[in-house]
Amino acid sequence: MLQHKPAKNQSLRIVLKINPLKILVVDDEPDMRIFVSTVVETMGFDPIMAENGTEALEKVQSILPALIILDVMMPKIEDGVKTYQLLKTDKRLDQIPIIMLSAIAKKTFFHFIRILSPQNGPGIPEPEAYMEKPPDAAELVKIIENLLLNKTQK
Amino acid sequence: MDQSILLIDDEEGIRKVLGIYLSDMGYQVFLAENGEQGSRIFRKEKPPIVLVDIKMPGMDGIELLRIIKEEIPDTEVIMITGHGDMDLAIKSLKLEATDFVTKPINDDVLEIALKRAHERLTMRRLLREHTNNLEQLVRDKTKKLVEAEKLAAVGQTVAGLSHAIKNIASGLKGGAFVLEKGLELDSRKYLMQGWEMVKGNVDKITKLSMDLLNYAKVTDVNYKLSEPNQQVHEVVSVMQHQAKELGIHLKIELAPDLKAFYFDPELIHWCLLNLVSNAIDACMEDDLDNNGKVVLVKTVKAKGWGVEFQVIDNCCGMDEEIKENIFQGFYSTKGTKGTGIGLMITKKIVDGHKGVIEVESKKSVGSTFIIRLPEKLQP
Repeated sequence: MLQHKPAKNQSLRIVLKINPLKILVVDDEPDMRIFVSTVVETMGFDPIMAENGTEALEKVQSILPALIILDVMMPKIEDGVKTYQLLKTDKRLDQIPIIMLSAIAKKTFFHFIRILSPQNGPGIPEPEAYMEKPPDAAELVKIIENLLLNKTQK
Repeated sequence: MDQSILLIDDEEGIRKVLGIYLSDMGYQVFLAENGEQGSRIFRKEKPPIVLVDIKMPGMDGIELLRIIKEEIPDTEVIMITGHGDMDLAIKSLKLEATDFVTKPINDDVLEIALKRAHERLTMRRLLREHTNNLEQLVRDKTKKLVEAEKLAAVGQTVAGLSHAIKNIASGLKGGAFVLEKGLELDSRKYLMQGWEMVKGNVDKITKLSMDLLNYAKVTDVNYKLSEPNQQVHEVVSVMQHQAKELGIHLKIELAPDLKAFYFDPELIHWCLLNLVSNAIDACMEDDLDNNGKVVLVKTVKAKGWGVEFQVIDNCCGMDEEIKENIFQGFYSTKGTKGTGIGLMITKKIVDGHKGVIEVESKKSVGSTFIIRLPEKLQP
Protein backbone atom coordinates (compact mmCIF):
# COMPACT_ATOMS: atom_id res chain seq x y z
CA MET A 1 0.00 0.00 0.00
CA LEU A 2 2.88 2.31 0.79
CA GLN A 3 4.09 2.31 -2.76
CA HIS A 4 0.88 4.03 -3.84
CA LYS A 5 1.76 7.07 -1.79
CA PRO A 6 1.19 10.04 -4.06
CA ALA A 7 4.20 12.30 -4.43
CA LYS A 8 3.11 15.65 -3.11
CA ASN A 9 4.74 18.80 -1.91
CA GLN A 10 6.86 17.77 1.09
CA SER A 11 5.84 20.71 3.20
CA LEU A 12 2.22 19.71 2.93
CA ARG A 13 0.73 16.99 4.99
CA ILE A 14 -0.13 13.98 2.98
CA VAL A 15 -3.79 13.32 3.29
CA LEU A 16 -4.42 9.73 4.15
CA LYS A 17 -7.25 7.78 2.73
CA ILE A 18 -8.51 6.69 6.05
CA ASN A 19 -11.06 3.95 6.47
CA PRO A 20 -13.63 5.73 8.61
CA LEU A 21 -15.18 2.56 10.00
CA LYS A 22 -12.09 0.52 10.79
CA ILE A 23 -10.61 0.51 14.27
CA LEU A 24 -7.41 -1.39 15.05
CA VAL A 25 -7.38 -3.17 18.43
CA VAL A 26 -3.88 -4.12 19.57
CA ASP A 27 -3.55 -6.33 22.63
CA ASP A 28 -1.64 -9.51 23.35
CA GLU A 29 -4.40 -10.86 25.60
CA PRO A 30 -7.21 -12.57 23.72
CA ASP A 31 -9.78 -11.65 26.40
CA MET A 32 -8.97 -7.97 26.09
CA ARG A 33 -9.05 -8.11 22.28
CA ILE A 34 -12.47 -9.72 22.29
CA PHE A 35 -13.80 -7.29 24.87
CA VAL A 36 -12.55 -4.16 23.13
CA SER A 37 -13.59 -5.51 19.71
CA THR A 38 -17.07 -6.16 21.01
CA VAL A 39 -17.30 -2.62 22.34
CA VAL A 40 -16.13 -1.26 18.98
CA GLU A 41 -18.31 -3.58 16.94
CA THR A 42 -21.48 -2.87 18.90
CA MET A 43 -20.88 0.82 18.26
CA GLY A 44 -21.08 0.08 14.56
CA PHE A 45 -17.37 0.04 13.73
CA ASP A 46 -15.37 -2.70 12.15
CA PRO A 47 -12.64 -3.94 14.53
CA ILE A 48 -9.34 -5.28 13.18
CA MET A 49 -7.20 -7.16 15.65
CA ALA A 50 -3.46 -7.36 16.15
CA GLU A 51 -1.55 -9.32 18.78
CA ASN A 52 1.74 -7.46 18.83
CA GLY A 53 3.53 -4.33 17.72
CA THR A 54 4.84 -5.71 14.42
CA GLU A 55 1.44 -6.97 13.35
CA ALA A 56 -0.09 -3.67 14.43
CA LEU A 57 2.30 -1.60 12.29
CA GLU A 58 1.65 -3.78 9.26
CA LYS A 59 -2.10 -3.51 9.64
CA VAL A 60 -2.05 0.24 10.29
CA GLN A 61 -0.23 0.79 7.00
CA SER A 62 -2.34 -1.59 4.96
CA ILE A 63 -5.73 -0.72 6.44
CA LEU A 64 -5.32 2.90 7.57
CA PRO A 65 -7.88 2.68 10.36
CA ALA A 66 -9.73 5.66 11.81
CA LEU A 67 -8.49 4.87 15.29
CA ILE A 68 -5.97 2.67 17.09
CA ILE A 69 -6.61 1.22 20.53
CA LEU A 70 -3.21 0.19 21.78
CA ASP A 71 -2.16 -1.82 24.82
CA VAL A 72 1.07 -0.63 26.44
CA MET A 73 2.24 -3.96 27.83
CA MET A 74 2.71 -6.50 25.06
CA PRO A 75 3.96 -8.45 27.00
CA LYS A 76 6.69 -6.06 28.02
CA ILE A 77 6.30 -2.32 28.02
CA GLU A 78 8.88 -1.79 25.25
CA ASP A 79 6.75 -3.35 22.55
CA GLY A 80 3.74 -1.12 23.24
CA VAL A 81 5.73 2.06 23.75
CA LYS A 82 7.91 1.46 20.70
CA THR A 83 4.88 0.82 18.54
CA TYR A 84 3.41 4.04 19.86
CA GLN A 85 6.64 5.91 19.15
CA LEU A 86 6.83 4.59 15.58
CA LEU A 87 3.23 5.50 14.89
CA LYS A 88 3.48 8.98 16.34
CA THR A 89 6.76 9.87 14.64
CA ASP A 90 5.57 8.70 11.23
CA LYS A 91 4.69 11.76 9.17
CA ARG A 92 1.67 10.03 7.68
CA LEU A 93 0.43 7.72 10.35
CA ASP A 94 0.61 10.27 13.14
CA GLN A 95 -2.74 11.61 11.98
CA ILE A 96 -4.50 8.52 13.25
CA PRO A 97 -5.64 9.06 16.82
CA ILE A 98 -4.54 6.55 19.43
CA ILE A 99 -6.20 5.46 22.65
CA MET A 100 -3.61 3.99 24.99
CA LEU A 101 -5.04 1.21 27.08
CA SER A 102 -2.80 0.22 29.89
CA ALA A 103 -2.27 -1.56 33.15
CA ILE A 104 0.41 0.98 34.03
CA ALA A 105 -0.29 4.40 35.43
CA LYS A 106 -0.48 7.31 33.00
CA LYS A 107 2.49 8.98 34.69
CA THR A 108 4.76 5.99 34.09
CA PHE A 109 3.80 5.87 30.44
CA PHE A 110 4.46 9.57 29.87
CA HIS A 111 7.78 9.20 31.65
CA PHE A 112 8.69 6.49 29.15
CA ILE A 113 7.68 8.67 26.25
CA ARG A 114 9.82 11.54 27.52
CA ILE A 115 12.82 9.24 27.80
CA LEU A 116 12.32 8.04 24.24
CA SER A 117 11.95 11.53 22.83
CA PRO A 118 15.06 12.82 21.04
CA GLN A 119 16.78 15.41 23.23
CA ASN A 120 16.55 18.45 21.00
CA GLY A 121 13.79 17.16 18.81
CA PRO A 122 10.14 18.01 18.91
CA GLY A 123 9.34 15.18 21.34
CA ILE A 124 6.77 12.51 20.94
CA PRO A 125 3.23 13.84 21.19
CA GLU A 126 0.89 12.55 23.83
CA PRO A 127 -1.82 10.09 22.86
CA GLU A 128 -5.27 11.44 22.08
CA ALA A 129 -6.63 9.49 25.05
CA TYR A 130 -5.32 7.37 27.85
CA MET A 131 -7.27 4.76 29.73
CA GLU A 132 -6.13 2.57 32.56
CA LYS A 133 -7.03 -1.09 32.57
CA PRO A 134 -9.45 -2.61 33.27
CA PRO A 135 -11.37 -0.42 30.85
CA ASP A 136 -14.94 0.45 31.53
CA ALA A 137 -17.13 -0.19 28.47
CA ALA A 138 -19.23 2.97 28.83
CA GLU A 139 -16.16 5.15 29.25
CA LEU A 140 -14.45 3.59 26.26
CA VAL A 141 -17.55 4.22 24.15
CA LYS A 142 -17.52 7.89 25.19
CA ILE A 143 -13.85 8.32 24.33
CA ILE A 144 -14.26 6.71 20.92
CA GLU A 145 -17.31 8.88 20.16
CA ASN A 146 -15.41 12.02 21.18
CA LEU A 147 -12.38 11.26 19.08
CA LEU A 148 -14.14 10.19 15.93
CA LEU A 149 -16.78 12.89 16.20
CA ASN A 150 -14.12 15.61 16.52
CA LYS A 151 -12.29 14.15 13.60
CA THR A 152 -15.29 14.34 11.28
CA GLN A 153 -15.96 17.91 12.33
CA LYS A 154 -12.51 19.03 11.22
CA MET B 1 27.04 -1.05 104.78
CA ASP B 2 25.41 -4.26 103.83
CA GLN B 3 28.38 -6.05 102.35
CA SER B 4 30.58 -8.92 103.23
CA ILE B 5 34.35 -8.98 103.27
CA LEU B 6 36.77 -11.85 103.68
CA LEU B 7 39.96 -11.24 105.62
CA ILE B 8 42.78 -13.77 105.44
CA ASP B 9 45.88 -13.35 107.54
CA ASP B 10 48.02 -15.80 109.42
CA GLU B 11 48.67 -13.29 112.23
CA GLU B 12 45.95 -13.52 114.82
CA GLY B 13 46.53 -9.97 116.02
CA ILE B 14 45.89 -8.49 112.60
CA ARG B 15 42.77 -10.62 112.12
CA LYS B 16 41.43 -9.37 115.44
CA VAL B 17 42.19 -5.66 115.01
CA LEU B 18 41.21 -5.46 111.34
CA GLY B 19 38.17 -7.65 111.99
CA ILE B 20 36.86 -5.22 114.59
CA TYR B 21 37.69 -2.23 112.44
CA LEU B 22 35.88 -3.65 109.41
CA SER B 23 32.88 -4.70 111.50
CA ASP B 24 32.71 -1.15 112.82
CA MET B 25 32.63 0.09 109.23
CA GLY B 26 29.53 -2.02 108.75
CA TYR B 27 30.93 -5.04 106.93
CA GLN B 28 29.94 -8.58 107.58
CA VAL B 29 33.43 -10.01 108.16
CA PHE B 30 34.59 -13.54 107.47
CA LEU B 31 37.97 -14.50 108.88
CA ALA B 32 40.45 -17.12 107.71
CA GLU B 33 43.95 -17.87 109.00
CA ASN B 34 45.44 -19.46 105.87
CA GLY B 35 45.02 -19.72 102.12
CA GLU B 36 43.23 -23.07 102.13
CA GLN B 37 40.65 -21.96 104.66
CA GLY B 38 40.32 -18.66 102.87
CA SER B 39 39.57 -20.29 99.54
CA ARG B 40 36.95 -22.56 101.16
CA ILE B 41 35.15 -19.60 102.74
CA PHE B 42 35.48 -17.62 99.51
CA ARG B 43 33.77 -20.35 97.51
CA LYS B 44 30.99 -20.63 100.07
CA GLU B 45 30.28 -16.97 100.79
CA LYS B 46 31.40 -15.30 97.56
CA PRO B 47 32.26 -11.97 99.21
CA PRO B 48 32.70 -9.07 96.78
CA ILE B 49 35.82 -7.85 98.60
CA VAL B 50 38.72 -9.93 99.87
CA LEU B 51 41.57 -8.66 102.00
CA VAL B 52 44.49 -11.04 101.96
CA ASP B 53 47.98 -11.18 103.43
CA ILE B 54 50.47 -11.66 100.67
CA LYS B 55 52.88 -13.84 102.66
CA MET B 56 51.47 -16.84 104.41
CA PRO B 57 52.69 -20.34 105.07
CA GLY B 58 51.13 -22.89 102.78
CA MET B 59 48.96 -21.29 100.07
CA ASP B 60 50.12 -17.69 99.97
CA GLY B 61 48.23 -14.55 99.03
CA ILE B 62 49.37 -14.56 95.39
CA GLU B 63 48.14 -18.11 94.88
CA LEU B 64 44.80 -17.30 96.51
CA LEU B 65 44.50 -14.15 94.39
CA ARG B 66 45.02 -16.25 91.30
CA ILE B 67 42.27 -18.69 92.36
CA ILE B 68 39.82 -15.92 93.22
CA LYS B 69 40.38 -14.06 89.97
CA GLU B 70 39.92 -17.26 88.07
CA GLU B 71 36.69 -18.21 89.79
CA ILE B 72 34.98 -14.85 90.21
CA PRO B 73 36.99 -12.27 88.27
CA ASP B 74 34.88 -9.37 89.52
CA THR B 75 35.97 -9.86 93.10
CA GLU B 76 37.98 -6.94 94.49
CA VAL B 77 41.11 -8.27 96.12
CA ILE B 78 43.21 -5.99 98.33
CA MET B 79 46.64 -7.33 99.26
CA ILE B 80 48.23 -6.79 102.66
CA THR B 81 51.99 -6.52 102.30
CA GLY B 82 54.93 -6.16 104.63
CA HIS B 83 57.98 -3.93 104.10
CA GLY B 84 60.18 -5.18 101.34
CA ASP B 85 57.41 -7.09 99.63
CA MET B 86 57.35 -4.62 96.77
CA ASP B 87 58.09 -7.25 94.11
CA LEU B 88 55.26 -9.40 95.35
CA ALA B 89 52.96 -6.39 95.52
CA ILE B 90 53.67 -5.53 91.93
CA LYS B 91 53.14 -9.14 90.91
CA SER B 92 49.74 -9.06 92.65
CA LEU B 93 48.77 -5.94 90.75
CA LYS B 94 49.67 -7.69 87.56
CA LEU B 95 47.30 -10.43 88.61
CA GLU B 96 44.64 -7.77 88.91
CA ALA B 97 44.60 -7.14 92.61
CA THR B 98 42.69 -3.93 93.29
CA ASP B 99 45.23 -2.38 95.55
CA PHE B 100 47.67 -3.12 98.32
CA VAL B 101 48.09 -1.78 101.82
CA THR B 102 51.33 -2.01 103.75
CA LYS B 103 51.73 -3.21 107.29
CA PRO B 104 51.47 -1.66 109.78
CA ILE B 105 48.09 -0.84 108.40
CA ASN B 106 47.11 2.77 108.41
CA ASP B 107 43.35 3.20 108.82
CA ASP B 108 43.16 5.97 106.25
CA VAL B 109 45.08 4.00 103.64
CA LEU B 110 42.83 0.99 104.19
CA GLU B 111 39.75 3.18 103.94
CA ILE B 112 40.92 4.62 100.66
CA ALA B 113 41.66 1.14 99.30
CA LEU B 114 38.22 -0.07 100.33
CA LYS B 115 36.60 2.98 98.86
CA ARG B 116 38.31 2.35 95.56
CA ALA B 117 37.22 -1.27 95.67
CA HIS B 118 33.65 -0.13 96.20
CA GLU B 119 33.82 2.36 93.39
CA ARG B 120 35.06 -0.28 91.06
CA LEU B 121 32.34 -2.67 92.14
CA THR B 122 29.66 -0.03 91.62
CA MET B 123 31.09 1.01 88.30
CA ARG B 124 31.25 -2.52 87.10
CA ARG B 125 27.66 -3.13 88.18
CA LEU B 126 26.46 -0.01 86.38
CA LEU B 127 28.43 -0.91 83.33
CA ARG B 128 26.92 -4.37 83.29
CA GLU B 129 23.42 -2.98 83.71
CA HIS B 130 24.05 -0.52 80.97
CA THR B 131 25.39 -3.22 78.67
CA ASN B 132 22.42 -5.42 79.46
CA ASN B 133 20.09 -2.54 78.71
CA LEU B 134 21.86 -1.92 75.45
CA GLU B 135 21.67 -5.57 74.51
CA GLN B 136 18.00 -5.60 75.41
CA LEU B 137 17.51 -2.47 73.36
CA VAL B 138 19.24 -4.07 70.39
CA ARG B 139 17.11 -7.19 70.78
CA ASP B 140 13.90 -5.13 70.94
CA LYS B 141 14.84 -3.02 67.95
CA THR B 142 15.91 -6.05 65.94
CA LYS B 143 12.62 -7.75 66.68
CA LYS B 144 10.74 -4.68 65.53
CA LEU B 145 12.83 -4.44 62.39
CA VAL B 146 12.22 -8.09 61.53
CA GLU B 147 8.51 -7.58 62.09
CA ALA B 148 8.56 -4.52 59.85
CA GLU B 149 10.37 -6.46 57.14
CA LYS B 150 7.90 -9.30 57.43
CA LEU B 151 5.08 -6.81 57.03
CA ALA B 152 6.78 -5.33 53.99
CA ALA B 153 7.08 -8.81 52.48
CA VAL B 154 3.42 -9.44 53.20
CA GLY B 155 2.62 -6.10 51.61
CA GLN B 156 4.51 -7.04 48.45
CA THR B 157 2.80 -10.40 48.34
CA VAL B 158 -0.58 -8.79 48.72
CA ALA B 159 0.23 -6.27 45.98
CA GLY B 160 1.25 -9.05 43.60
CA LEU B 161 -1.79 -11.07 44.47
CA SER B 162 -4.12 -8.14 44.01
CA HIS B 163 -2.61 -7.56 40.56
CA ALA B 164 -3.32 -11.18 39.60
CA ILE B 165 -6.88 -10.94 40.89
CA LYS B 166 -7.41 -7.58 39.19
CA ASN B 167 -6.45 -9.18 35.87
CA ILE B 168 -8.93 -11.97 36.35
CA ALA B 169 -11.61 -9.55 37.50
CA SER B 170 -11.14 -7.43 34.40
CA GLY B 171 -11.37 -10.57 32.26
CA LEU B 172 -14.61 -11.52 34.00
CA LYS B 173 -15.96 -8.01 33.60
CA GLY B 174 -15.09 -8.04 29.91
CA GLY B 175 -16.68 -11.45 29.51
CA ALA B 176 -19.83 -10.26 31.23
CA PHE B 177 -19.99 -7.26 28.88
CA VAL B 178 -19.64 -9.43 25.78
CA LEU B 179 -22.27 -11.84 27.15
CA GLU B 180 -24.66 -8.96 27.82
CA LYS B 181 -24.21 -7.67 24.30
CA GLY B 182 -24.94 -11.19 23.07
CA LEU B 183 -28.20 -11.26 25.00
CA GLU B 184 -29.10 -7.72 24.01
CA LEU B 185 -28.44 -8.22 20.31
CA ASP B 186 -29.35 -11.89 20.26
CA SER B 187 -25.91 -12.61 18.82
CA ARG B 188 -24.71 -16.16 19.09
CA LYS B 189 -21.13 -15.05 18.35
CA TYR B 190 -21.06 -12.66 21.33
CA LEU B 191 -22.76 -15.18 23.56
CA MET B 192 -20.18 -17.83 22.78
CA GLN B 193 -17.21 -15.45 23.07
CA GLY B 194 -18.47 -13.95 26.32
CA TRP B 195 -19.19 -17.35 27.73
CA GLU B 196 -15.67 -18.57 26.86
CA MET B 197 -14.15 -15.51 28.53
CA VAL B 198 -16.15 -16.06 31.70
CA LYS B 199 -15.30 -19.75 31.77
CA GLY B 200 -11.61 -19.13 31.13
CA ASN B 201 -11.40 -16.60 33.93
CA VAL B 202 -13.29 -18.82 36.34
CA ASP B 203 -10.69 -21.50 35.57
CA LYS B 204 -7.93 -18.97 36.19
CA ILE B 205 -9.25 -17.95 39.58
CA THR B 206 -9.80 -21.57 40.52
CA LYS B 207 -6.21 -22.33 39.63
CA LEU B 208 -5.02 -19.26 41.50
CA SER B 209 -6.81 -20.29 44.67
CA MET B 210 -5.47 -23.86 44.36
CA ASP B 211 -1.96 -22.53 43.88
CA LEU B 212 -2.28 -20.31 46.92
CA LEU B 213 -3.55 -23.23 48.94
CA ASN B 214 -0.58 -25.27 47.76
CA TYR B 215 1.76 -22.49 48.67
CA ALA B 216 0.39 -22.43 52.19
CA LYS B 217 0.63 -26.23 52.42
CA VAL B 218 4.19 -26.77 51.29
CA THR B 219 5.63 -25.86 54.66
CA ASP B 220 5.35 -29.54 55.62
CA VAL B 221 7.74 -31.79 53.78
CA ASN B 222 6.48 -35.34 54.07
CA TYR B 223 9.59 -37.46 53.55
CA LYS B 224 9.12 -40.89 52.01
CA LEU B 225 11.66 -43.30 50.57
CA SER B 226 11.18 -42.65 46.84
CA GLU B 227 12.75 -43.25 43.46
CA PRO B 228 13.64 -40.04 41.64
CA ASN B 229 13.25 -41.65 38.19
CA GLN B 230 9.76 -42.79 39.13
CA GLN B 231 8.72 -39.15 39.54
CA VAL B 232 9.94 -38.29 36.08
CA HIS B 233 8.00 -41.20 34.57
CA GLU B 234 4.82 -40.12 36.32
CA VAL B 235 5.10 -36.45 35.36
CA VAL B 236 5.93 -37.20 31.75
CA SER B 237 3.05 -39.65 31.41
CA VAL B 238 0.69 -36.97 32.75
CA MET B 239 1.99 -34.34 30.30
CA GLN B 240 2.67 -36.53 27.26
CA HIS B 241 -0.80 -36.21 25.81
CA GLN B 242 -0.91 -32.42 26.01
CA ALA B 243 2.60 -32.12 24.59
CA LYS B 244 1.76 -34.34 21.65
CA GLU B 245 -1.35 -32.34 20.84
CA LEU B 246 0.71 -29.16 20.75
CA GLY B 247 3.34 -30.77 18.57
CA ILE B 248 6.08 -30.82 21.19
CA HIS B 249 8.45 -33.74 21.67
CA LEU B 250 8.51 -34.54 25.38
CA LYS B 251 11.46 -36.84 25.99
CA ILE B 252 13.22 -38.39 28.97
CA GLU B 253 16.78 -39.40 29.66
CA LEU B 254 17.27 -41.14 33.01
CA ALA B 255 20.41 -41.96 34.93
CA PRO B 256 20.42 -45.73 35.58
CA ASP B 257 22.43 -45.62 38.80
CA LEU B 258 20.08 -43.60 40.99
CA LYS B 259 19.16 -44.99 44.38
CA ALA B 260 15.96 -44.33 46.27
CA PHE B 261 16.30 -41.77 49.05
CA TYR B 262 14.05 -39.69 51.23
CA PHE B 263 12.12 -36.79 49.72
CA ASP B 264 8.48 -35.81 49.43
CA PRO B 265 7.31 -37.53 46.23
CA GLU B 266 4.10 -35.50 45.97
CA LEU B 267 5.82 -32.14 46.31
CA ILE B 268 8.64 -33.04 43.94
CA HIS B 269 6.07 -34.37 41.48
CA TRP B 270 4.40 -30.99 41.71
CA CYS B 271 7.70 -29.16 41.05
CA LEU B 272 8.54 -31.26 37.99
CA LEU B 273 5.02 -30.90 36.66
CA ASN B 274 5.32 -27.14 37.05
CA LEU B 275 8.68 -27.01 35.27
CA VAL B 276 7.50 -29.24 32.42
CA SER B 277 4.31 -27.27 31.90
CA ASN B 278 6.35 -24.03 31.96
CA ALA B 279 8.63 -25.50 29.30
CA ILE B 280 5.60 -26.38 27.19
CA ASP B 281 4.23 -22.86 27.64
CA ALA B 282 7.60 -21.47 26.56
CA CYS B 283 7.44 -23.60 23.40
CA MET B 284 3.99 -22.28 22.62
CA GLU B 285 5.41 -18.76 22.70
CA ASP B 286 7.97 -19.74 20.15
CA ASP B 287 7.62 -19.65 16.38
CA LEU B 288 9.83 -22.68 15.75
CA ASP B 289 8.28 -25.04 13.28
CA ASN B 290 6.47 -27.84 15.00
CA ASN B 291 9.00 -30.59 14.56
CA GLY B 292 11.76 -28.70 16.25
CA LYS B 293 10.21 -28.16 19.67
CA VAL B 294 11.70 -30.41 22.30
CA VAL B 295 11.26 -30.63 26.05
CA LEU B 296 13.70 -33.01 27.71
CA VAL B 297 13.46 -34.22 31.30
CA LYS B 298 16.71 -35.66 32.60
CA THR B 299 18.00 -37.19 35.79
CA VAL B 300 21.69 -37.06 36.58
CA LYS B 301 23.68 -38.46 39.50
CA ALA B 302 25.33 -35.29 40.69
CA LYS B 303 28.20 -35.70 43.09
CA GLY B 304 27.16 -35.04 46.68
CA TRP B 305 23.44 -35.01 45.82
CA GLY B 306 20.72 -37.62 45.72
CA VAL B 307 19.62 -36.55 42.28
CA GLU B 308 19.78 -33.73 39.81
CA PHE B 309 16.63 -33.20 37.79
CA GLN B 310 16.92 -31.20 34.59
CA VAL B 311 14.05 -29.82 32.57
CA ILE B 312 15.41 -28.57 29.26
CA ASP B 313 13.60 -26.83 26.44
CA ASN B 314 14.88 -25.41 23.17
CA CYS B 315 12.29 -22.69 22.95
CA CYS B 316 12.01 -18.98 23.62
CA GLY B 317 14.47 -18.65 26.52
CA MET B 318 14.78 -15.71 28.89
CA ASP B 319 16.88 -12.60 29.10
CA GLU B 320 18.84 -11.63 32.23
CA GLU B 321 16.13 -9.40 33.61
CA ILE B 322 13.50 -12.12 33.51
CA LYS B 323 15.92 -14.70 34.90
CA GLU B 324 16.57 -12.56 37.93
CA ASN B 325 12.92 -12.25 38.77
CA ILE B 326 11.36 -15.61 38.05
CA PHE B 327 11.64 -17.05 41.55
CA GLN B 328 10.06 -14.01 43.10
CA GLY B 329 6.45 -14.21 43.97
CA PHE B 330 3.86 -13.11 41.45
CA TYR B 331 6.34 -12.38 38.70
CA SER B 332 5.01 -13.72 35.43
CA THR B 333 5.87 -13.35 31.77
CA LYS B 334 2.64 -14.96 30.68
CA GLY B 335 0.46 -11.88 31.03
CA THR B 336 -2.88 -12.79 32.51
CA LYS B 337 -2.24 -16.42 31.69
CA GLY B 338 0.21 -16.72 34.57
CA THR B 339 0.12 -15.63 38.18
CA GLY B 340 3.80 -16.01 39.06
CA ILE B 341 3.03 -18.47 41.81
CA GLY B 342 4.30 -21.66 40.17
CA LEU B 343 8.04 -21.05 40.42
CA MET B 344 7.59 -19.38 43.78
CA ILE B 345 6.08 -22.62 45.13
CA THR B 346 8.66 -24.74 43.35
CA LYS B 347 11.45 -22.81 44.99
CA LYS B 348 9.77 -23.06 48.38
CA ILE B 349 9.47 -26.83 48.01
CA VAL B 350 13.09 -27.21 46.95
CA ASP B 351 14.22 -24.95 49.80
CA GLY B 352 12.13 -27.09 52.15
CA HIS B 353 14.16 -30.11 51.02
CA LYS B 354 17.40 -28.12 51.54
CA GLY B 355 17.98 -28.56 47.83
CA VAL B 356 18.91 -26.02 45.17
CA ILE B 357 17.10 -24.77 42.12
CA GLU B 358 18.97 -23.08 39.31
CA VAL B 359 18.24 -21.85 35.85
CA GLU B 360 20.35 -21.43 32.77
CA SER B 361 18.78 -19.67 29.87
CA LYS B 362 19.59 -17.85 26.71
CA LYS B 363 17.15 -15.74 24.79
CA SER B 364 15.94 -17.60 21.69
CA VAL B 365 18.06 -20.65 22.55
CA GLY B 366 16.22 -22.27 25.40
CA SER B 367 16.16 -22.78 29.15
CA THR B 368 17.37 -25.44 31.55
CA PHE B 369 15.90 -25.67 35.03
CA ILE B 370 17.90 -27.71 37.50
CA ILE B 371 16.76 -29.09 40.83
CA ARG B 372 19.23 -30.87 43.08
CA LEU B 373 18.02 -32.73 46.13
CA PRO B 374 20.27 -33.85 48.97
CA GLU B 375 20.59 -37.60 49.45
CA LYS B 376 18.65 -38.00 52.64
CA LEU B 377 19.00 -41.58 53.82
CA GLN B 378 16.79 -41.40 56.89
CA PRO B 379 13.19 -40.21 57.14
